[in-house]
Amino acid sequence: MERLSAPMGSRIDRTERVSFRFEGQQYSGYRGDTIASALYANDVTMLSRSFKYHRPRGVLSMCGQDSNTMVQIGNKPNRLADRIAIEAGLDVMGQNYWGSLEKDRLAALRYFARFMPVGFYYKAFYKPRWSWRLWAKLIRRVAGLGVVALDTPHGYYDKQYLFTDVTVIGAGPAGLAAALEAAEAGAKVLLVDENIELGGALTYARFDGAGEAGERTRADLVAKVSAHECIRVMTDTACTGWYADNWLPLIKDNRLYKLRAGSLVVASGCYEQPLIFQNNDLPGIMLGSAAQRLIRLYGIKPGNRAVVATANQDGYGVALDLLDAGMEVACVVDVRPDPPEEEMSAAVMRRHVPILAGATLREAVPSAGGLGVRAVKIARLESATKAARRYDSFACDVIAMSGSYVPAAAMLHQAGGRVSFAADNGSFSVHDLPAHLSAAGSVGGTNALENVLSEGAAAGRAAASDAGFSSAGASAAPSIAEEAPGAWPIIIHPKGKDFVDFDEDLQSHDIENALTEGYQHIQLLKRFTTNGMGPSQGRHATLPAIRLAARRTGAGLDETGSTTSRPPIGPLTMAHLAGRSFEPVRYTAMHYRHVERGARKMPAGAWMRPEYYGAAHSRADNIAAEVVSVRENVGMIDVSTLGGLEIRGPDAAEFLNRMYTFAYLKQPVGRARYVLMTDESGVIVDDGVACRMHDDHFYVTATTSGVDGVYRTMLWYNVQWRLKVDITHVSGSYAGVNIAGPNSREVLQKLCDDVDLSPEAFPYMGVRRGTVAGIPALFLRVGFVGELGYELHVPASQGEALWDALMEAGNEAGIQPFGVEAQRLLRLEKGHIIISQDTDGLTTPHEADMGWAIANKKPFYVGMRSVAIQDSVGLKRKLVGFELADSTGKKPKECHLVIRSGSITGRVTSIAHSPTLNKVIGLAYVAPDQAEPGTEIDIKIDGGEMVKAVVVKLPFYDPDGARQEM
Amino acid sequence: MKQMNCPLNGVRNIQEFAHGGEVVDQPDPNRCSDAEWAEFVFMEANTAGVVREWWCHVATAYWFIAERDTLKDEIIRTYDAGELFKERVDFTRPEAPKET
Amino acid sequence: MTILPQDFARRSFLYRELESAGATFDEVNGAAIAMACGDDAAAEAAQARSLGLSDLSVLPRTGYKGWNMATWLQGQGAEMAEQNNNVSPQADGTRIARLAPGEALLLGDDQGSAGLIEKMDGAWSMETADGCFQVPRAETNFWLALSGAETPALFAKICAVDLRPAAAPPHTVVQTNVARLNAIIIRRDTAEVPVFDLLSDIASAVYLWRALLDAMDEFGGKPIGLTALRTLK
Repeated sequence: MERLSAPMGSRIDRTERVSFRFEGQQYSGYRGDTIASALYANDVTMLSRSFKYHRPRGVLSMCGQDSNTMVQIGNKPNRLADRIAIEAGLDVMGQNYWGSLEKDRLAALRYFARFMPVGFYYKAFYKPRWSWRLWAKLIRRVAGLGVVALDTPHGYYDKQYLFTDVTVIGAGPAGLAAALEAAEAGAKVLLVDENIELGGALTYARFDGAGEAGERTRADLVAKVSAHECIRVMTDTACTGWYADNWLPLIKDNRLYKLRAGSLVVASGCYEQPLIFQNNDLPGIMLGSAAQRLIRLYGIKPGNRAVVATANQDGYGVALDLLDAGMEVACVVDVRPDPPEEEMSAAVMRRHVPILAGATLREAVPSAGGLGVRAVKIARLESATKAARRYDSFACDVIAMSGSYVPAAAMLHQAGGRVSFAADNGSFSVHDLPAHLSAAGSVGGTNALENVLSEGAAAGRAAASDAGFSSAGASAAPSIAEEAPGAWPIIIHPKGKDFVDFDEDLQSHDIENALTEGYQHIQLLKRFTTNGMGPSQGRHATLPAIRLAARRTGAGLDETGSTTSRPPIGPLTMAHLAGRSFEPVRYTAMHYRHVERGARKMPAGAWMRPEYYGAAHSRADNIAAEVVSVRENVGMIDVSTLGGLEIRGPDAAEFLNRMYTFAYLKQPVGRARYVLMTDESGVIVDDGVACRMHDDHFYVTATTSGVDGVYRTMLWYNVQWRLKVDITHVSGSYAGVNIAGPNSREVLQKLCDDVDLSPEAFPYMGVRRGTVAGIPALFLRVGFVGELGYELHVPASQGEALWDALMEAGNEAGIQPFGVEAQRLLRLEKGHIIISQDTDGLTTPHEADMGWAIANKKPFYVGMRSVAIQDSVGLKRKLVGFELADSTGKKPKECHLVIRSGSITGRVTSIAHSPTLNKVIGLAYVAPDQAEPGTEIDIKIDGGEMVKAVVVKLPFYDPDGARQEM
Repeated sequence: MKQMNCPLNGVRNIQEFAHGGEVVDQPDPNRCSDAEWAEFVFMEANTAGVVREWWCHVATAYWFIAERDTLKDEIIRTYDAGELFKERVDFTRPEAPKET
Repeated sequence: MTILPQDFARRSFLYRELESAGATFDEVNGAAIAMACGDDAAAEAAQARSLGLSDLSVLPRTGYKGWNMATWLQGQGAEMAEQNNNVSPQADGTRIARLAPGEALLLGDDQGSAGLIEKMDGAWSMETADGCFQVPRAETNFWLALSGAETPALFAKICAVDLRPAAAPPHTVVQTNVARLNAIIIRRDTAEVPVFDLLSDIASAVYLWRALLDAMDEFGGKPIGLTALRTLK
């Protein structure tokens, strides 16, 4: 097809041809063409098959507002062919057919339409229940939307924050005027539009008889906006929703922008509405604005002979554009019985186009083969619901529809605003908008260009002022009388195929039937019929459904209500939401030393820790060897991940006394004491040790995963208690190493000349300050693994040097680093619990046999009263040690249940084979009367088999603690 | 995303904050009844209307108080907890053991 | 003689990242600091003006907090801003950032001279400072500097707080979330191009370093050494 000459075709570059493929066939268009425009120019007007009946569909809105143009591009389904520009080599396929787009074997489904009434899913497939699985397969094949490729390669998507004083959504005349005015007042303005160029309707619509006003206005405004240093323009950018405090997601290319919009002007325009008549979905039947877009943006003559149907003056502009494009216009059908004479209708009359006032379209006649239109039947309107039986037939290959408008008000809805449609004439207003948000232009029902411009300017000025930028002068008030809009009457066609919702193939009688079945509430009607639930989200389908419902119930449109509009407003890819994610990973100072030694890494919260050292295939042996080296020689573990808190001030001991269950007032300086924290309900939440460094200073450790919460909780309590104490979070500030085993003293002694390590001078649970290899260190004799050992805490920046020094000093003795798994096993042998592994969200101190760590005589600790109440109620379960009767048989896993007489009495929390004892040992919750050592318990393992275990006294290893106190 | 004014750090996205529950008076744990204590520990008023809540600016671990209207989803005022908590709090054991 | 980070017990958590960026080191404050990332000093200085990332983790800094923090620091000769989240420059080049009524962060200058910081840390003890407590900022936080005209654009990819020049004038302190880490951001008093100090969890240094390089890529951002950073006025 020959393109129209310039200035038609503003978006295409006629000097560059671009080839692409559609349905396997080669086509070419111009740089700037969309897939749909290039195909249209190649006389390919069918782009897809409909969802349910597989009817042929073509261009409807030509701006991505309908689902007719959804195509598959490579791995990406449901791409909008009327928005996506062609590129060399683009491979585009149609969707939703069986065979080929042109010869879809499923098109026969239309003959079964009467067996597929609305709601048929709910009625047809639910009995017998097993049958749905079979139906689902067929239905999903028949009614799919594109193909999801599971092997889609990952792309690079990311996110960015944006800040501005004023944001204008929509760069039509209202938005351009608003942006200019706000920028003139000094505000930084972000102007966003989903189209690739500024101007909105000014780029394609007709505003006067001569057809010059639009372009003149556009050129003027765009020049000013582009030149203004305070305005940032983002085109080809979709705003997909409104969130609290004007927080807007904007999508451009592979990036999701998170915009704090400042004061917001929504000038998002409106959606032109199709008409409802038989076969209103045939390719060649399109919105008036779509025909204008084809002509003005792409230089395409939509056909040879058109019928224009309108309910307002804009249809006359469409007719003039079609005439100017060289088409014949068979007639203009105006729903209004007495259309007012104005500039454009007068121009139409001057060009001898018959105007049929007070008439309606009844039926489009398909062309041979059914892929287009060949004529339309037009009848006189007798009332708003009835047309004359007699009709006139007009031959045509294009029907351009200018039904009425609905506002593109999704953002306004999401912000809490409401849209009211007045009576049945299609006019509407928006109200209840929140602060810092205004609407301008046709989204608010203002259509006359002069009015739109002055309203936009006023909104821009107000937004700037709201953002703190006031300007002198006042904007002109809207001056032109707005034309009363019309709405196309809905006359139900007795033979159907008069589509209300193109996405879901819903006909007017489907809506009628649902209403008859009692689904008269608009929300129920929507869900039962699925009207407005397809990809175009009711842009064209919602208002007719509301009108039909209101007509049935006799209620007003406002009473009938409107469906809500949740984000996202348009389709959104998962990749944009996922974006580039930030997942912090924490490394200790010795991290790379572990890696160099072949450590298997495991996450512990955000930390990466060595699980064990050595090859994965010998995991169990590696762990066992690490355990043995601690028990028999010397081992070393990186404990830098431990939480650390400095508690300082005259009330430090009093504060610990309140936060932890034990007693700390009389703890001597230079000694460490166990700490156990309960919450207000008396449940164990954390543990560690408190080292008294000074009368007024404790260094307290906390669990790796618990420390953030412990720190925050401590601060929260002291905000209320007002004790003279300072709490400082120092996790990560210290690198920690636990060197343990009978030879640990000997190794450490080599590096330390300022701390007497002898058991007399530095006993178990002692705390000292000194240096190790010249590095300042805190020495702590604790016994988590149950051997002689020293925990060394040094400045994080020197942790790697400390590790190297210890490895070198221990080389002679054969020091072996050990990982988290060996540590877990070592502590299990000692019967020490791990908070949140051996405790859960309900574990009380007495259940965990921690009564020894509770000081009952002090006036208060967090959870004290609850623990006292637990005591009076009695135990419901108890954590005990057990060993398997047969350590060579099947081994239970953590969380396997303890069963007695068919009832659950507890569960396993830790279990492992102890290389030291050569037994399978573990910790489990059991009923209180099963807690006595010697009691036999049954544990149910995978597959339902029962395994016998015996409750034993804790600890399993070295019950007198002789080894850790060496 | 909603914003909140941190009395220390200014207006920030709500994502920067942690919610700490309603501001409630703790009954004297050494003197109240079991029922009063259970009410304090486990029950929330869940008021529809203006509430007074604890919020924490996580990056600075700063606890403050916010008054919000839960019906309108509006933050009315935020302020330092020192406005409400001015005095040191101490706990004492009852003179005689509590009868149960 | 070539100076290597491993020559010292004190090391930045980022020394391996810097080595792989081709850094050459010099001794400052008893540790190795990256002076340059490459041979072209002029190009690196230009990089500092567009978008540069430098590691200052081994330079002197300290922190104090407590209800008497301000009184004690002033007693040691410090000038303190009344306003929170603001920096007070000191005569010796030290900057004191007031993080809260009861908390301050002291940053040394780019020369690595400790001055006031050394004096305070020497004077402080549990006995001598009532109600004022030392915070081991040199160990708690890594310390980066981001420099150049593109820094606000870079921050917009990792931080939800507006750091455009007008919103964050020199000496502004912002305590917020950066790429999901709690962080302190401080705008320096440089006229030519914005420079920001960024301090956060020392253990997350490698994570954030890599996240920054990834985010900087589209603006041509690169690691730079201290020499290039010192050219900014």
